[in-house]
Amino acid sequence: MNVLFGLFSAMLIGATPILLAAIGGTFTFYAGIFNIAMEGMMLVGAFCAVLGSFFLHSWFLGILCAVAGALVMAGIFVLFAVRLHTDEFLTGIALNLFAVGLTTFLLRDIFHVKGAFTDAGIRAIPAVKLPLIDGIPILGRLLSGYNAIIYVAALVTVLAAFVIFRTRFGLRLRAAGYNAVCLSSSGVPASTIRIWSLIVCAVCCGLAGAYLSLGSVRLFAENMSAGRGWISLTAVILVSGNPWGIAIISLLFGFFDGLTVFLQGSRIPTQFTAMIPYVATLVSLYLYSVRKRRQA
Amino acid sequence: MRKQVLSGLLGVLAAFVIGALVLLFQGFNPVTTYGALLQYSLFSASGFAATVTRAVPLILTGLSASIAFASGPVNLGQPGQLIMGALGVALVGLFVRLPPVFLIPLCILASLLGGALWSGLAALLKRAFAMDEFIVTLMLNFIADYFALWVITYPLFDPSALSPMTRRISTAAWLPDLGGVNTSVLFMVFAAVVCWLIMSRGRSGYEWRMTGQNSLFARIGGCKVDANYVRVMLVTGALAGLAGGLMVMGGPHRFVKGLGANYAWDGIMIAVVAGSGVSGTFLYGLLFSALQQGAIGMELVTAVPSEFIDVLQAVIVLVVVAGRVSLNMVFDWLATRQKLKESAE
Repeated sequence: MNVLFGLFSAMLIGATPILLAAIGGTFTFYAGIFNIAMEGMMLVGAFCAVLGSFFLHSWFLGILCAVAGALVMAGIFVLFAVRLHTDEFLTGIALNLFAVGLTTFLLRDIFHVKGAFTDAGIRAIPAVKLPLIDGIPILGRLLSGYNAIIYVAALVTVLAAFVIFRTRFGLRLRAAGYNAVCLSSSGVPASTIRIWSLIVCAVCCGLAGAYLSLGSVRLFAENMSAGRGWISLTAVILVSGNPWGIAIISLLFGFFDGLTVFLQGSRIPTQFTAMIPYVATLVSLYLYSVRKRRQA
Repeated sequence: MRKQVLSGLLGVLAAFVIGALVLLFQGFNPVTTYGALLQYSLFSASGFAATVTRAVPLILTGLSASIAFASGPVNLGQPGQLIMGALGVALVGLFVRLPPVFLIPLCILASLLGGALWSGLAALLKRAFAMDEFIVTLMLNFIADYFALWVITYPLFDPSALSPMTRRISTAAWLPDLGGVNTSVLFMVFAAVVCWLIMSRGRSGYEWRMTGQNSLFARIGGCKVDANYVRVMLVTGALAGLAGGLMVMGGPHRFVKGLGANYAWDGIMIAVVAGSGVSGTFLYGLLFSALQQGAIGMELVTAVPSEFIDVLQAVIVLVVVAGRVSLNMVFDWLATRQKLKESAE
């Protein structure tokens, strides 16, 4: 029983950053932007979270800094891809490289360390006990007592589904991706909608980054996003942007990610268990193509 | 072509100015910093030799990405293919005993095969199951990374070493230094010339580029688009594998943990900034190599951390790529105005 509880919580912990980044990515996906900069936004967010939490002595200000950092990245993306009409793919690649370079440089420049920075002065995001559910025997143990960001992620997913499919902004968002010229000629500039979608994406990626560095650990390591931005991009593509689908895929990846931690004590070498999330991505791509072929 | 050179020069210059502003903001002196950077990369014999040697993996992975991007396949798997190539050389170098005349070509072949195997896997998945090579190659990077780590931690572990690495490969497979420059440079230059010939003089290069620009047009024109796709993937994988192989043969003579990690995305970065041209890739490869080599000296002389170069490189990429588009718009505007004037007269 304890094993199952452990696996379940590991699944939620692993799923959260991917879910948040993918929800951000789905906004840009619907707006018709080929946005691969989630990885970089997340990384900058993770760094800024540590920066804010360490110097301002508050996890909340840390989260705000993370969002601000990711927004700066989104600003650069807007400047190049939307304003200067640079290729979105190339801009994304350059931004991801920029994020790696900038964070390693600043890690050295501000904290004078190489590799990773950790300090007792970094305030972590606290865990939250859900008021009513916490009292219920099994459900309370399953769902209560997690990091605050995990609940935020769940809320964001529901909100995203509502905003994209039930509001005027969502309609315009989908129109920007479906037929930008049509949207622009009906009086709503598609580029404005795209800029908003990037802003939403940056906020989500900033939260994901803050979770990485202030969630279950309190440290920033070079390149600590470790491909999660790419995996979240895969999740978006696999379900064509549907937030509920993204939630399921993220939980699946979270499960495999949890499995990785879980199998560390076993006889399988850690190098192979660490491959699991990436192999799972390949397998899900394979299943996706099989399903698509059956439909056609 | 002249436009490309102009926009490249302007972009690099602008990026250096932005870098200088960052340095000023951080309280460093940009003149001494850039001076040290140049001194330790280009304007000293040992620095220049090191720059040229360092350029080998950069240019080879850059060529790999360039040829892939120019021909259509989005092969982002250079890091993984490099690792597999290096692993191939490590295997041959550790277990085959031959004189250098035979062993060196065999090692080169192993590195090409190692890289091509890894990119071929992605090509196979694409052809058989229509899985996008863009994500597949990325995921294969992580898998190759962990696989190599396992290989050097368990089966090929050197018991006398403190961190995971293999034993030294047979000395017959070592590529010697000539006046500070490693002979792996020769293989790199040869590969670059071959790439240039294929891409701008050969028929297959023409077909590949055509497919990259408009695959429907190429198909109607009679190119075997699918077969070409597999060929491009194999060739680009082999190039990245060669980069890894030469790194083992010329450098530490063994597979050490984290080999190629610093070059992981550099090839893609160079291809992007060079606009996927072969000669551009060569030149930007040298530039980025000079920056990275100079960074070590820069850190020695000034207080600027060498990671500053990572920022500068990314700024160069952004500014040059965006500048190319904007400059083209300016050029088009100028040309139109010229034409209008002529027709008015």
